[in-house]
Amino acid sequence: MDYARPPLADRLAAEYVLGTLRGPARRRFETLLPAHVALRAAVAAWQGRLLPLAAAVDLVEPSEAVWPALERRLFAAAEASGGWWRRLALWRGVAALATAAALGLGVVATQAPPVAPPIVIVLEANPDVPGVVAARFVASVTPDGRALVLRPIGAVPLAAGRALELWSVPGQGAPRSLGLVSAQGATTVLRTRLLDGTAAFAVSLEPAGGSPTGAPTGPVLSVGKLQS
Amino acid sequence: MANDPEDWTRRNRELVELLSRVALGDRGAFGALYRRTSAHLLGVVLRIQRDRAVAEEVLQEVYVNVWRAAGGYEAGLGQPLTWLTSVARHRAIDSLRRRQGEPVTVAGPAADDEDDDVLTRLPSTAAGPLELLAQAAEARALADCVRALSGEQQQSLALAFYQGLSHAEVAQHLRQPLGTVKSWLRRALLALRDCLERAASTR
Repeated sequence: MDYARPPLADRLAAEYVLGTLRGPARRRFETLLPAHVALRAAVAAWQGRLLPLAAAVDLVEPSEAVWPALERRLFAAAEASGGWWRRLALWRGVAALATAAALGLGVVATQAPPVAPPIVIVLEANPDVPGVVAARFVASVTPDGRALVLRPIGAVPLAAGRALELWSVPGQGAPRSLGLVSAQGATTVLRTRLLDGTAAFAVSLEPAGGSPTGAPTGPVLSVGKLQS
Repeated sequence: MANDPEDWTRRNRELVELLSRVALGDRGAFGALYRRTSAHLLGVVLRIQRDRAVAEEVLQEVYVNVWRAAGGYEAGLGQPLTWLTSVARHRAIDSLRRRQGEPVTVAGPAADDEDDDVLTRLPSTAAGPLELLAQAAEARALADCVRALSGEQQQSLALAFYQGLSHAEVAQHLRQPLGTVKSWLRRALLALRDCLERAASTR
């Protein structure tokens, strides 16, 4: 079937969203979806048209048992170690790498050497995505929040067509991209307010050129929380 | 109506933030997303999958899917509530198919039963699919466009959308030839699209 024909693509997208595209036809359609931009756009357009109809459906609170069951199902394995978001609190005061990080900062902070010591954050490998890419980083930030130096600890094996993107994660709201970072050496990030509202820094695996959506799309490889 | 269609856009905006944090593996955001959306999604699933226990299993699958795929959510294309609803509807339809060949939602009274009408078959406390269509249609343009559809078109659209019925099941339900129902639905969708596009261009 020629999915590139606009009227056919549009009809299939409509039936897919309505739910009447079934069986092998739907499976074929779903297989093609990721690679076909026009098909995805047609689906998005039909979702926009039809799915607001679902707003009229009465709310039904799930039983209390659903959430704990869901948590068990998703996080049972990671529970022993706590999951990265919770473990962040434990990563304070990792001083062993402070020296290395401070050396990195020296490069940036030449014009006005800070009196206060740099803020050092270790971005530990995220155990929730084992086997993807083991990556640890150390970030050092000037106390005024204007410069950050990120260095990988050890080699980060990166496949062709992949890139690492650094994010500042606020306590509330969406993560902010700080740009692509090097897998081999130090990357310097200069911003006016790196620390304002930032609760943690995270590095995600993205397609070459960085996240196409403005939000992290790949797995989060490593993360480190700021001391408050 | 606890779930105001006018709310749809505003809620979507809040959910964009939560989803982008879920993509980072933030469990707190995932919990918040669940609290804000699970009652809506269970409502959607229950319309299609009437077995409460199975529906709650489907709901779990939906969130497992969301946790694992949040990074694949494209902020530029669909709105989050739309995306979540879409995942929920497809999972609910899958759960019907899994259960066997006989469609659960249309197995019912004998063919000579005069009262075999979609509205009489629903729990009395719940709105029927046609009423839902009318309520959802409070969203202005959609309202006008849905009302412009013929009775048959509205009825087949409501059965397919709210109850997740296939073409064959809608045909069986309305006791019409499959080809007739397919063409009602196809024309309903085209009419809806053209009408919404006209409404958007005159705004």
